[in-house]
Amino acid sequence: MSVINYANRVIDFKIVYYGPGLAGKTANLQYIYRSLPNANRGNMISLATGDDRTIYFDFLPVSALTVRGFQTRFQLYTVPGQVQYNATRRLVLRGADGLVFVADSQFERLRENVESFRNLEANLHEYESTLDEIPYVLQYNKRDLPNQAPVTYLEFVLNRRGARVPYFEASAIEGKGVFDTLNTVSRMALASEFGVGRERRHEVS
Amino acid sequence: MKSRNTIIQQQDAARIHEILTHFLNDSSAVEALLIDRGGQLLARDGDAEALDAVSICALAAAAFSSTAAMAQLLGEPEFSVLFHEGAKRSLHVSTVDDESILLAIFDQRTTIGMVRLFAGEASRAVGAVLGEARARPKPAAEFAAPLKDTEARQAWTPPS
Repeated sequence: MSVINYANRVIDFKIVYYGPGLAGKTANLQYIYRSLPNANRGNMISLATGDDRTIYFDFLPVSALTVRGFQTRFQLYTVPGQVQYNATRRLVLRGADGLVFVADSQFERLRENVESFRNLEANLHEYESTLDEIPYVLQYNKRDLPNQAPVTYLEFVLNRRGARVPYFEASAIEGKGVFDTLNTVSRMALASEFGVGRERRHEVS
Repeated sequence: MKSRNTIIQQQDAARIHEILTHFLNDSSAVEALLIDRGGQLLARDGDAEALDAVSICALAAAAFSSTAAMAQLLGEPEFSVLFHEGAKRSLHVSTVDDESILLAIFDQRTTIGMVRLFAGEASRAVGAVLGEARARPKPAAEFAAPLKDTEARQAWTPPS
């Protein structure tokens, strides 16, 4: 969870990108890394297999606004999406202050999206936490591909908990929707530290 | 277990600094990093200024969590120490409490035995400070009022 340090006036947050394998979690971080100036980001670390599949996590620290005298920093992680890596996926989830669920918009991946979302809920349960407690957004990625499911259908399948959350259409490989997603989840994580986390109840138009 | 926010006040930071300084003097280690098990840096002390501490913290927390998971597969609660030996520099990671770990970087000027001995003492002392810090309520001054829209503006601008 967040670390508030009065000695150096910094607040650190952990944001985890979750979702099925090959949904584009790593592509999100790679685009952010390429787009931000050096002053706003650290080194990107990718623990991947020889064929570039994430085996443990990707990691990218980015710095952001100063709020009420505290500099805010966000540490972005991805989890390995492949089903067999659940043990490491659960470890990366530890202490998350915000979540991005990256769904693959293609029709044939709908089932894997749903299974990954259920897996997220189950892994949070292991930490005695739920999606009611952690700010999160949905990103419907790969909107550039021809066999995409309609957003209304993805919403029906994935955004159906008590309080609907913000969602974003994206093509992470082209950068579309990547910063909208990051800005919103980071703002929600930040807001949850101050007063009542208003955007947790954000109405989606 | 459920993670909790950590709020380090000035007086906590000063006490932790004192403990880590003693640890470095006693053990002759080069650098000490106090790390939240989620991978966040809580405090650091030492001479390795050029170190990419943020990345080291993320990787060390992940490695320590992995070994803890392996320990559980063997029926152990966790392995309390993780040690990596390099040609010039080595890493020693040990448990502070359920939510944090202490990483020490050391070289040929000392030994794993010395580091391990004094890391145990430092961990107990720093664990007590963190326990007090976590038990304290969040300070109202800066955090009581909700963020205004002007404060919670867009953090990053996408490239055009």
